[in-house]
Amino acid sequence: MIKRLKKINKAKIFIGFASICGFLLFWYLGTAYTEVGKVMASPIDLFWRFLQSAYEPIGPHTIWGHLLSSISRVMMGFALASVCGILLGLVMGSSPLGEAIARPLFELLRPIPPIAWISIAVLWFGLGEMAKYFIIFLSGFFNITINIYTGAKAVDQELIGAAKMLGCSDRKIFTTIVLPSSVPYIFTGLHIALSSSWAAVVAAEMVRSTDGVGWLITQGMGISDTSQIMVGILSIGVVGFILSSIMRGVEAKLCAWSRVEKS
Amino acid sequence: MCLEPSREIMTNSVIKCENVSKQFYSDGEMVQVLEDISLEARENEILVIFGPGQCGKTTLLKAIAALEPATGGTITINGKKKTKPGPECGLVYQTIALFPWLTTMGNVEYGLKVKGMGKKERRERANKYIKLVGLEGFEKSFPIQLSGGMKQRVGIARVYCNEPDVMLLDEPFGHLDAQTRYLMQEELERIWQTEKRTIIFVTNNMEEAIYLADRIIVLTNCPAKIKQEFKVDFPRPRNITDPEFLKLRKEITGILDPLE
Repeated sequence: MIKRLKKINKAKIFIGFASICGFLLFWYLGTAYTEVGKVMASPIDLFWRFLQSAYEPIGPHTIWGHLLSSISRVMMGFALASVCGILLGLVMGSSPLGEAIARPLFELLRPIPPIAWISIAVLWFGLGEMAKYFIIFLSGFFNITINIYTGAKAVDQELIGAAKMLGCSDRKIFTTIVLPSSVPYIFTGLHIALSSSWAAVVAAEMVRSTDGVGWLITQGMGISDTSQIMVGILSIGVVGFILSSIMRGVEAKLCAWSRVEKS
Repeated sequence: MCLEPSREIMTNSVIKCENVSKQFYSDGEMVQVLEDISLEARENEILVIFGPGQCGKTTLLKAIAALEPATGGTITINGKKKTKPGPECGLVYQTIALFPWLTTMGNVEYGLKVKGMGKKERRERANKYIKLVGLEGFEKSFPIQLSGGMKQRVGIARVYCNEPDVMLLDEPFGHLDAQTRYLMQEELERIWQTEKRTIIFVTNNMEEAIYLADRIIVLTNCPAKIKQEFKVDFPRPRNITDPEFLKLRKEITGILDPLE
């Protein structure tokens, strides 16, 4: 049986809770008693605005609709990036020829931040969804590829030797050794990529769009509505956190072998 | 425990090394690691290769396994020349080298699985060897959940289950603490008594060598050459305080090169 460490540190939870409360109090006092605070929504206002946005549309949708469009954009670009990134990463990591061809080009393109591609994306794909998918794709693709490439390269040569001595053919080395031992790296790549895709969708939507959380923020700026901006910002934080948690959950299940505690 | 001393050791040799040598270039200088090594291991015997640390024992094993082929001489297993790694040699690593993403069962049945044996049959066979090494109840544990000694039991079962012609054990207990090491030596002997195999066992520990061996081949320090061969014919299980044990120990110590 896999025995997971389930010791909950009560003191830690309490301190974490107190820290968030402290931050909200500081925020509240700032908006209530300082000059600068006047242009900022207080946490209480924001809370009501948040609830309101759940049933009252801002622009075309309620907050749910905006989140849904943003998330579906991320999923589209992220899925594309995952497939391409895993394939390229494995090819680069396990074939010297593939590495020689793809590595230099890859290293040249990798440092370019996805945001820098926005103008080109708009020129190529117009202002529609394709440009956004492209930006999200780029922000995920390089992260995934580099992690999987590292993982496939880092396969313990001794394990490959052990597999061969147990009668494994060269073809099966890939499926039974290289692939499973890269799984933790694949997940690290996917995890980072999901976070950066989520960041990229907001940037892409802020450039030009008619809905989504990025739109919520730029539109709020246009009409000087700080609480709308804050609703956008906070929902980015919450959704990012949820996506990340889901990813960690799946990872904990699939990579149990690399991090379970001794029983 | 009473074990009959009259076990069958066949006289036909399973593995034969003839004039095996190995050299490689390092910084433009030629380094000779193995020099003119000829030896044979007979069916169902435990042949111990004993030598000082870093003398080239592991290099010799890897040459026999064809993981890092020798540069001179020939190695044959059951009359067939050995040129590439394959299942006729089973290697138990000093570093254990289990597949960390597979459970005990997954590791032990791996060799059978890649050979295409059906699930029911391979499970049955793997179970038999898991039992033999004393790991019943740990079939579903991942290597990270096992102690060092248990991991090496899995390593031994994995090779046993694959039924190689010869098993190569490369200082398999070198990383274990002293107490576990003694226990594992006894365990290995018990496992081998239950199901005989041809074993080449590499070690730098003299007590381990005398405890386990039918024959001991003592190597010189780098380059490794065969210094002398000893036959160990007193009955098993042996006791480190037996006069015969101590006598042989003294004899082997007497021929060793002084270490600088």
